[in-house]
Amino acid sequence: MSDVKVLVLAGYGLNCDHETAYAFELAGAKAERVHINSLIDGNVRLDMFHIMAFVGGFGWGDDHGAGVIQAVKLKTRIGDKMLEFVEKGNLVIGICNGFQAIVNMGLLPGFDCNYTKRSVALTFNDSGNFRNDWVKLKVNTASSCVFTKELDKIELPVRHGEGKFYSDEPTIKRLIENNQVVLQYAKQGGTPAEGRFPHNPNGSVNDIAGICDPSGRIFGLMPHPEAYNHFTNHPGWTRRKEVIKRTGNKEHEEVPEGIRIFKNGVEYMASRI
Amino acid sequence: MPHRLEIALKPEMLDAEGEGICHKAKDYFGIELKKIRTISVVTIDAPLTDNQLDIVQSEIFTNPVTQISSYRPLPVEFDWIIWIGYRPGVRDNPGSTAVEAIEDILGIKFARGEAVYTSKRYCITGHNLVRKDIERIACELLANDIIQQSKIFSKNDWNSSDGIGYIIPKVMLNHVPTVSSISIESDDTLQTISDERNLALNPKDIPTIRDYFLKKDVLAARALKGLSEPTDIELEYISQARSDHCNHNTFRGLFRYKDSENGDSETVDSLFKTCIEAPTLYLKDKKPWVVSVLWDNAGAGLFDENNYYVITGETHNSPSNMEAYGGAITGIVGVYRDPLGTGKGSKLIMGSYGFCVGERDYAGSLTPRLHPRRLLDGVIEGVRDGGNKSGIPTPFGQVLFHHGYMGKCLVFVTALGIMPSVIKGEPAEQKKTSPGDLVIMCGGRVGKDGIHGVTASSEVFSESTPAGHVQIGDPYTQKKMHDFLLEARDEGLITFITDNGGGGLSSSIGESARYSNGCEIELEKVPLKYEGLDQWEIWISESQERMTVAVKPENLNRFMELSAKHAVESTAIGRYTDSGKIHIKYNDKTCAYVDMDLLAAGFPQWEFDAAWLPPERRGLFEPVIKEPREYHSLLLDILSRHNICSKEWICRQYDHEVQGGSVIKPLVGADRDVNSDAVVIRPILDSEKGLAFSQALLPAYSSIDAFHMTSCTIDEAVRRLICVGGKMDHIGGVDNFCWPNIQYHPVKNPDGKFKAAQLVRSCRALAEICLAYEIPLLSGKDSMYVDGYLPGKYGETHKVSALETLQFSAVSVIENINKCVTMDSKIPGDLLYVLGTTRNELGASEYYEHLGYTGLNVPVVSPGNFMKLYKALENAVDKGLVASAHGIYRGGLGVHLAMVAMGGNLGLKVDIGLVPSDGADRGDIIIFSESPGRFIVTVSPDNRKDFEMMLNGLSFARIGEVTDSQELVVTRSNSRKLISLSVDDLKKAWKRPFGDLI
Repeated sequence: MSDVKVLVLAGYGLNCDHETAYAFELAGAKAERVHINSLIDGNVRLDMFHIMAFVGGFGWGDDHGAGVIQAVKLKTRIGDKMLEFVEKGNLVIGICNGFQAIVNMGLLPGFDCNYTKRSVALTFNDSGNFRNDWVKLKVNTASSCVFTKELDKIELPVRHGEGKFYSDEPTIKRLIENNQVVLQYAKQGGTPAEGRFPHNPNGSVNDIAGICDPSGRIFGLMPHPEAYNHFTNHPGWTRRKEVIKRTGNKEHEEVPEGIRIFKNGVEYMASRI
Repeated sequence: MPHRLEIALKPEMLDAEGEGICHKAKDYFGIELKKIRTISVVTIDAPLTDNQLDIVQSEIFTNPVTQISSYRPLPVEFDWIIWIGYRPGVRDNPGSTAVEAIEDILGIKFARGEAVYTSKRYCITGHNLVRKDIERIACELLANDIIQQSKIFSKNDWNSSDGIGYIIPKVMLNHVPTVSSISIESDDTLQTISDERNLALNPKDIPTIRDYFLKKDVLAARALKGLSEPTDIELEYISQARSDHCNHNTFRGLFRYKDSENGDSETVDSLFKTCIEAPTLYLKDKKPWVVSVLWDNAGAGLFDENNYYVITGETHNSPSNMEAYGGAITGIVGVYRDPLGTGKGSKLIMGSYGFCVGERDYAGSLTPRLHPRRLLDGVIEGVRDGGNKSGIPTPFGQVLFHHGYMGKCLVFVTALGIMPSVIKGEPAEQKKTSPGDLVIMCGGRVGKDGIHGVTASSEVFSESTPAGHVQIGDPYTQKKMHDFLLEARDEGLITFITDNGGGGLSSSIGESARYSNGCEIELEKVPLKYEGLDQWEIWISESQERMTVAVKPENLNRFMELSAKHAVESTAIGRYTDSGKIHIKYNDKTCAYVDMDLLAAGFPQWEFDAAWLPPERRGLFEPVIKEPREYHSLLLDILSRHNICSKEWICRQYDHEVQGGSVIKPLVGADRDVNSDAVVIRPILDSEKGLAFSQALLPAYSSIDAFHMTSCTIDEAVRRLICVGGKMDHIGGVDNFCWPNIQYHPVKNPDGKFKAAQLVRSCRALAEICLAYEIPLLSGKDSMYVDGYLPGKYGETHKVSALETLQFSAVSVIENINKCVTMDSKIPGDLLYVLGTTRNELGASEYYEHLGYTGLNVPVVSPGNFMKLYKALENAVDKGLVASAHGIYRGGLGVHLAMVAMGGNLGLKVDIGLVPSDGADRGDIIIFSESPGRFIVTVSPDNRKDFEMMLNGLSFARIGEVTDSQELVVTRSNSRKLISLSVDDLKKAWKRPFGDLI
């Protein structure tokens, strides 16, 4: 257990706060679920924490664009505190609805240290429907993202109706050139999905599933690493178990892949406090 | 002057919603559209300044990257325009979150009556479209006139500066709330009034009601409160409480059962007491893990030393039948309030669904309100939004097509929760109200919604059924309330909690006041959506997302503090007393004053004649069929039948992994596309324990005998649990009966006595099998009157009744989730076993249905023999000897061998001559018989000896092996190949009907 403290947002229809806090605890941090209003009214102070997690869910029902109202509320009420938090060198992770929220706040992509400009979007899946399935992800090893250190590919579940990453060509080009594209939907073996359904589950431009800011300390992704917190979360685990039994190797005592993302973040902060 | 903002995706962006509608228009009606662009319309009925309008437009309602917007009509190309908005008083969820967002960003408060209304404008282009096509799309695809209004514009109708105009669906009642007293001078007067007011009072209850209000002491006591004749609110209260939905009069009724076979006759006094309560109480004493049954909103079982799981199941048939989306979302969100209202409150951890509808491609002459295909689309979406937006996984469910559900569809919704065993030193499963406790209503506000929902669901659906009880659930408001109440619970602030569902405050307060023996309510304090509701309407309204909570006065402040933190509205509306009376006041004037024990006081029991005719006497017989030669095409055709084929598109739109504890998912196998026997979750993340859950639904067998329908249904649910690692010594059950009307009427319900007999037999089987398998019924519900009157071709109407249907849910605790197994074949070379005996039991099978027969030999459960086998398999799984386990269900051995092969993407080499059988001496019988008690199991050769040792003396055989050929090869006693099909062919056939749906 390190001294790294993680603030996990909760309330207003967010719903992955419990498992996200659990994932950070498994990764060795102290995680606290904090209601958005406790942060706004000052009962809980953001500067007591080192990592801020925007979690999955349906904030305000996602009625006017996923993550939009959450972004507006936080921006108007504690926007300045959030920017201080980021400038101090802390980490921010936004997962699914949380990714949608920080994109709408402008924390991502954060070009030219501008953390308030909305220049990318997560919009309706091309399929027109919500989808829950596991996807293969290719990790950009050249990216500066601190959460994906030493990962080259990973499998995680997606669970969203508005996960199509979209922006104009110059922005996409710039994201790629800056190595801010961290995760891309891939086919078996890690080759890009090239927009193919269901490998790319939502039609994301350039198969983009997750991006980070230029510093690599702010990370947003549609897939759910917190939902891969145990060997038995993986859809193929009963098949793997059979193989393991027969070959006698002990693969499944490793840290679940999803947790490695949180571990990277926690270890990064642990070495700095 | 209202403001109307139109928002659309930028022209270069794909409009997925529009595309979807184009596809459906083509698939459903053959109407070719070129394009549909969707415009979201936000109408702000509040005086905002230009500056304020700019802020909300740019900050809230317009995404600069993807959207354009304007306070003037957007110039989007069209040949036709369809506008669709809600009717006044219908829940507009986006409208209310918009108000929240606007108030927040502008730091203002909307005045009473000010609001935001959302609607949609569809811009349609296409070649030579006529108004008729557009009307069809508007009425049969996009809008349901019960809750929505629509307008159609041609190019000529459209004025590009006025657009759709300003449509404000505001409720304006201009009505002064009044309590009216109701004449009870005679039974007939009261009956007439009951009919006029749609009170649905049972004629037999009327004398009892009159006697009460005419009693001297009652008259005297009421006189002191200024009351004489009963008030409308009092009669509504009685009507709610006495409705079949709340009081289960049918299951508590008196049945005169006659068996025409042997002339035996028997009187059953309450099916509930004899077949549900008695066995469950017996098993409760036997099973220390049974924590709480038969009284609360859900039953509770022991999960581990520190936690109890809770489970309950509901149906929401009548509303879904009229407004599929609204009915289904209200159903799932509603059943989630049951665990939340169980004990001192439980956290929701899982939901499941069951949909029974008419044939999806029905093209006959009957015209139900909603075509089965549209109805199914709607209920799927309703459960999707209700479950996903609640943050509760929906990992299991079933869909069943049958003509009988054209009259009324079935929507089953089941909910599981978990609670700590102790809260602040108090047992969490217990709760009571005490005199002095405050009555607090939390969550949503009260409107005219759902008035008479309970009584309507206790009636056969007809044109006269009030549409008023159709609502749209609001998972967002309820999720906030859920989080709030659990925090309040953990601080020990809640002494009693229950939900407001059927009957609204009338039921929740009426029931909770029994513990303290009275209450005094100040009805004017209840927060309303709009003014002008009569007192009786406030009292029985079924407006959603509300809980009733008892809080000690000293805890009120803290409770309200937490309520505010979670942005949830809570209001003290009275207090519990020990006066023995339900006392309701409105602005200090008494409008209801009745004795708590009135409802217990001698209302007559319902009575039914039940006449059983055995299938032979009903002319059923085994069809005369010679053994088929074309097993290839036969198996493929059966795999493509709608009740067998893949329904992956439904599972995938339901979040089945939220909360992070998914262990066995709804779809498993190498390609994650074959249905698992059951699902397993890990509700306590740092524990290796799990909950296994399964359901079964086999109404087809009712066409022969509902007794065997019931026993086979329970047996299937049990086997499903065993296949993933469930334990026989801990299985909790939930029974959900959906039955056609059983009250005999020579003209309206001529076969009522037979349907009543089917119910008696079904309940007998329930008791027999649950005792044999030792399954306490943790919860259960019944929904009678699954009948409908459908207009036909010639202006005539037809009564369509559902098959006698039971959905059985089963839950088991898994000691170590790492030992769970799935149904997919794993590794080539593994040995293939069939466990259990195959008999000549094709009666009402999928095979006979496919060939157009019913037959006679319905599958029969013999629990004694089955149990030994189940325990043996349970041990084999526990010892890790089993690579895959799958039950043999609907469709028989052939279909389920195909499932095992498809699951593993591996071949199977099978000799069905080796299958243990008894009187099943033909290929088609062995391949398609639906004998219960059977499994398909694959085992590593290394484990062969140990595995066979465990099954020693039981009915099982090794019938082949798993191969890497990707071919399902079936021979009979090494004679010619009966079947040789590639896994790809199997999957193609199995996915053909619905494989393209997303």
